Amino acid sequence: MSREAYQVPSSMGGQTAFGDAGASGLDGPMVAYLCGECNARVSLKRGDQIRCKECGHRVLYKERTKRMVQFEAR
Amino acid sequence: MPASVHSQDPDQSMMDAAPQEQDLQFEQEEVPGMEEKRIVVLPGATETAASFQFEGEGHTLGNALRYAIMKNPQVEFCGYTIPHPSETKMNLRIQTYDTTNAVEALEKGLDTLMELCDVVSDKFTVSRDAFNAADADKMRS
Amino acid sequence: MAPLIPSQEELDRRRIVDINPETVSNIPSTDFPGHWPGESHEWSLDKFSEGFNVEFHRNERFESSFSLVGLDASIANAFRRILMAEVPSVAIEYVFMNNNTSVIQDEVLAQRLGLIPLKGSVDGINWMRWFKKPTEDDPEGSNPADFNTIVLRLNIECTKNPNADPEEQDPRKLYNYAHVYARDITFHPVGRQEEFFVGDDAIQPVNPDILIAKLRPGQKIDMEMHCIKGIGADHAKFSPVATATYRLLPDIKILRPILGEDAQKFAKCFPKGVIGLESVTQEEAAKQGSGYEGHAGETKAVVRDAFKDTVSRECLRHEEFQNKVKLGRVRDHFIFNVESVGQFESDTLFLESVKVLKLKCARWKRGLTDLMR
Repeated sequence: MSREAYQVPSSMGGQTAFGDAGASGLDGPMVAYLCGECNARVSLKRGDQIRCKECGHRVLYKERTKRMVQFEAR
Repeated sequence: MPASVHSQDPDQSMMDAAPQEQDLQFEQEEVPGMEEKRIVVLPGATETAASFQFEGEGHTLGNALRYAIMKNPQVEFCGYTIPHPSETKMNLRIQTYDTTNAVEALEKGLDTLMELCDVVSDKFTVSRDAFNAADADKMRS
Repeated sequence: MAPLIPSQEELDRRRIVDINPETVSNIPSTDFPGHWPGESHEWSLDKFSEGFNVEFHRNERFESSFSLVGLDASIANAFRRILMAEVPSVAIEYVFMNNNTSVIQDEVLAQRLGLIPLKGSVDGINWMRWFKKPTEDDPEGSNPADFNTIVLRLNIECTKNPNADPEEQDPRKLYNYAHVYARDITFHPVGRQEEFFVGDDAIQPVNPDILIAKLRPGQKIDMEMHCIKGIGADHAKFSPVATATYRLLPDIKILRPILGEDAQKFAKCFPKGVIGLESVTQEEAAKQGSGYEGHAGETKAVVRDAFKDTVSRECLRHEEFQNKVKLGRVRDHFIFNVESVGQFESDTLFLESVKVLKLKCARWKRGLTDLMR
């Protein structure tokens, strides 16, 4: 089942899944993640340490797409 | 089934039917995929012996219709087959005596089945109503 | 030449399908013209109507049991098949997932939703038309409209329950909406649906306690569901019956007396209530050739209610009952059992199946006239 076509994150795409459009010049876009431990929002950019800023947990999850997805109930 | 992403407006609100459009819909009380389906007469048919192919039918109609047609004394032979299980096609073979022809026998078979349905329906309703009334009486007493 | 009328004995013999220890015999119907020399068997509506009978055993809202007597297996089977696969009902078909952060995957959730039986105004459901899906020939399909689509929504978020006891272990008390049930689905009527699906007649799940998903605080489900009318042949979720079955009425004949302890043992070979025990009367004992001579006062086995039998053939396994009993089933006595899933009443479902068969015939007759043109 193909969920959705993968799209390369770009600073242009105003996609809600990728941070608050917070592109910081040189290092590429900011991407928002959710902490696996405390569920806090963590915005990271390339090269950042993968770590929750609140609790230090090292497992982060990507947010679910905000787009509507259609399924057949079969 | 592949799911698809709708990038369009997620508002799924829908229109009400235009009155005429709805009347049109009432006309065609059809099962989806059943419209425009026809009976095909398979090659090699003669007046009194023919094979008919019904698209979208199976054992349900096949066996019932075979029974109804076999009840006709002018029919020499009637049988049905579903040639391949993955194709929803049903072949019905009818061979009659000289007093009638295959198409007539088929038509008569369909009529037989329809009048049978009416009897079943009527008797069922009568019996059910009687049973419900008796049940209600039992409850009251 | 007037058609030959067979003796009652012969007719009774033809009516029974024999059940032997390892086989069945006298199986196919033989009531066709030309099968028995000299006999008619031609279709006659009057004769059918005279011989056909319906007998109700049970008629509850969603489960009924009745006997159809005097009809061929091909017809009874057609009704049963139509009940399961061709009587239309409404079920969720499309799921538009706006958000689902629960642990249950979108497609799994969608599949579960499809299987939830729905109920609502029968008039409204009958008023509904088919929703035509786009096909290769018709890439458009039909547009969702009030007469072909029912909109349901499920929008739920699990939160912590601030009033919960700190010692509490049960997630249902610890959190709000930890369990999502079918009752959380809301119905949103559109257009003329507001006339049909009002109050108790609104579209709703038959069983409000079906567990759809489990959530934890912060998890959300937000979706819209479109229900359409369909038939069981397309997908089992559209089948309006839980079960639709028939069995033939069992027939037990005690050919020679079964007495005393044997009678007790014989009764144990059958379910309760099938075989009764009576004592041999003076008259029976006095009658020559009855087999009861000199057995006055002893217990004998009699058939009380063959309806309850399961035809296990247990009695045929014992030496002492050899040639004393004959098992069979009545060829044209169909004991139907119809259990509705909840959208329609079970007795209306059967009538509906008869209607479907008639409609099918009418449609093909029309097709036949087209063929002739």
